[in-house]
Amino acid sequence: MDFGGKPALNEAVDRLWARFLPHLKERVAILETAAAAFAAGNLTIEQHQAAIDAAHKLAGVLGTFGLSGGTALARELEMMYSHEGGPDPAHAARLNEIAAELRGLVENRK
Amino acid sequence: MAHKVLIIDDDDDIREVAALSLESVAGWEVVSANSGAQGLARAIEHQPDAILLDVMMPGMDGPATFRELRKNPATARIPVLLLTAKVQSSDQKRFADLGVDAVLFKPFDPLTLPKQISAVLGWK
Repeated sequence: MDFGGKPALNEAVDRLWARFLPHLKERVAILETAAAAFAAGNLTIEQHQAAIDAAHKLAGVLGTFGLSGGTALARELEMMYSHEGGPDPAHAARLNEIAAELRGLVENRK
Repeated sequence: MAHKVLIIDDDDDIREVAALSLESVAGWEVVSANSGAQGLARAIEHQPDAILLDVMMPGMDGPATFRELRKNPATARIPVLLLTAKVQSSDQKRFADLGVDAVLFKPFDPLTLPKQISAVLGWK
């Protein structure tokens, strides 16, 4: 079995990244919106569930595109949003900070 | 030998990167499905050598899809590898208890995914 062809595979992965980038940015936007709503004290049930889903999906995919740091950040968010009873209010700033870091990672992937 | 693998995942990005990996790195044939229900139909129709099955999907999720695959004589013997982004040990135990052939974790490396699959299934 030949497992070669790394440069060609990387180019193909990059093309897929470009194609799916708008979708990935939408997921980050969901996290930004949820973080802002949580900080303002008006995170809805729908926003909360959407944030869990978006964080989970980003955790699963970012590392596949070489952004293992993004996977770690998204996992941290998923854990915080999945906390029983919702995120700890003390984590409001961190929720926002991670969403911003994810935005930077996604927009600056080379 | 060119194996045939069915990928069942509701996420287009994951499905396409996995397909790219299996096709271009290993030269395998790939069939895709974007839901558990579609996956069941494609498994019956295409009789793949293995199924890569996402856990979290709307509607019929991975574990429910797996149980349906095992119930149907036409798909009961096809090896199933769960693909999950859940890393907590309680989740891992729950998935292992289902009786799947292996649990693979997201994110995966497109360059080595075929090797992982080959290793757990004993493919040369």
